[in-house]
Amino acid sequence: MPSPNKKILVSYFALFRERAGRSEETIQTHCETTADLYRELSERHALKLASDRVKVALNAEFTTWNARLRDGDHVVFIPPVAGG
Amino acid sequence: MSAFRLSVAPIVPQLEARQVAGSDCGGFASFEGWVRNHNDGRASNRLEYEAFAELAATEGEKVLEEARRKFGVDRVACVHRVGALEVGDVAVWVGVAAAHRAEAFAACRYIIDEVKHRLPIWKKEHYQEGDTAWVNCEADSDPVSASEVAKPASDYSRQTALAEVGVLGQARLRSARVLVVGAGGLGVPVLSYLAGAGVGTIGIVDGDVLEASNLHRQTIYSFADVGKPKAELAARHIGRLNPEVQLEVHPMRLTPESARSLIEAYEIIVDCTDNFTTTFLISDVALELDRIAVFASVYQFEGQVQVFRPGQPDSLCYRCIWPTQIPDGTVGTCDLVGTLGPVPGILGSIQALETLKIILDAPGQLGAELLLVDLMNYTQTRFLVPPEASGQHKTCRAHARAEVDVRFLDLETTMALESAGDQGFDVVDLRTESEATAKPLHGVAHRRMSVEELLLEAEQSQDRKILLVCSRGVRSRQAALRLRELGFPAVYSLAGGWRGGSTAA
Repeated sequence: MPSPNKKILVSYFALFRERAGRSEETIQTHCETTADLYRELSERHALKLASDRVKVALNAEFTTWNARLRDGDHVVFIPPVAGG
Repeated sequence: MSAFRLSVAPIVPQLEARQVAGSDCGGFASFEGWVRNHNDGRASNRLEYEAFAELAATEGEKVLEEARRKFGVDRVACVHRVGALEVGDVAVWVGVAAAHRAEAFAACRYIIDEVKHRLPIWKKEHYQEGDTAWVNCEADSDPVSASEVAKPASDYSRQTALAEVGVLGQARLRSARVLVVGAGGLGVPVLSYLAGAGVGTIGIVDGDVLEASNLHRQTIYSFADVGKPKAELAARHIGRLNPEVQLEVHPMRLTPESARSLIEAYEIIVDCTDNFTTTFLISDVALELDRIAVFASVYQFEGQVQVFRPGQPDSLCYRCIWPTQIPDGTVGTCDLVGTLGPVPGILGSIQALETLKIILDAPGQLGAELLLVDLMNYTQTRFLVPPEASGQHKTCRAHARAEVDVRFLDLETTMALESAGDQGFDVVDLRTESEATAKPLHGVAHRRMSVEELLLEAEQSQDRKILLVCSRGVRSRQAALRLRELGFPAVYSLAGGWRGGSTAA
């Protein structure tokens, strides 16, 4: 049985913002976990960074790649940043 | 001849002035102290100066060095008479030549004030009535000029008025020792605000020279200083901002070899670098030596800030968020992806504020979290890190050990370039064409190519022995690191780079 459709707010930072061409978007998805969602969006926006180089936050707290998504969640993908 | 000296012979100002003259100078200021015919209402006809010569000489040199640093002038000199002098003789002469008159006047004034105040030189006056008196030179200066020349002390009243600072907080600031790594876009506001606040000792680490492309975001520097070492330029500026601050200048890159001894000497390390390699190094050494680290970094209109307090149960080192070394080049630097000056300005200001809060033990400090600041939309978010992800650092230490082992141990070599061919190395020159033309590599077979070209080619055989060369050993070290990370074990960097001439010591 496919996972129910969820509405997720996604925010992008740094080079993800650039690659996605937006700061945030609300998407409808069947993804179950943060990893699924990253895979889906990574393909859609060519985010081009392996997930072990990326942090994911769920509702302003860092979480893991197997965290489950619920309708109305706010997901943030954070790449590392080095400039100074 | 040293720039400060004591002289038993009469001082001839025109001769003295020659030693500071230079065609690069547009202004010259001098001061002459003369023997006058009265003191304190009594007529005098001659006097004698006596000095504790060794101490006077070293202290005199110190004063001149301070003037050089504070006012950015190179050409300074001072000569003080000792022995018997007649009325009208020149007792002391100070000369400063500089690019412009303002710093020449200021430095000249500074030198004579400090010389009169600090040097162990005593004056014996012979009065017309036949009696004599020893007069301390400084006590001798009349009250009007004394108050006029009195150095204004640093004034922290605008911050001590805060309940979070006060007299106690100011004392804490004064006894703090902070190391700022990187005097660039982040480092400039950090250094400025820490010095302004009266942080007692500030170390400045930067191995780069100023480039014209730095100036849009590194606004304490001058266009005229392009090409000069940034650590020293920063020290000069900060020294003028607050002369009370003790500055320790380290004009070098933070390397695995230098990091321990440098970081050990400070309580708080502020990471203002622009590359992951140094950030991981700072985090690893701070963890090992139990030092607080304040990290920040910038990407275009955004930035990240993080504080590491080792020893605290919820402490968060850099590896707690990013467990394994991120290769430089994974995401862009300011050089590559661009930024607007105020962005590192604001992120560096946050770093400075956080550093001051830590010293003052003020409320509201960042905990186990990553602060994300987006200056395009003016939003900021504090992302909390779950407690189990931070605190013990067992995994962080393991990662650090594993990476240090493969990466840093023998990355740099000091071998003579001429012998590299015999030892089976392919020598690769990473410099640009113009650099290579200016200082050609000779005595060894080599090829010139970019890191990208090298990467493409290197894929053909993983075991090739490669020696990378650039002009200062920085680019070659980074490239060697990158190749090692990609699984090429026999890539080395020529330490210090190719400076022209022979590599033989």
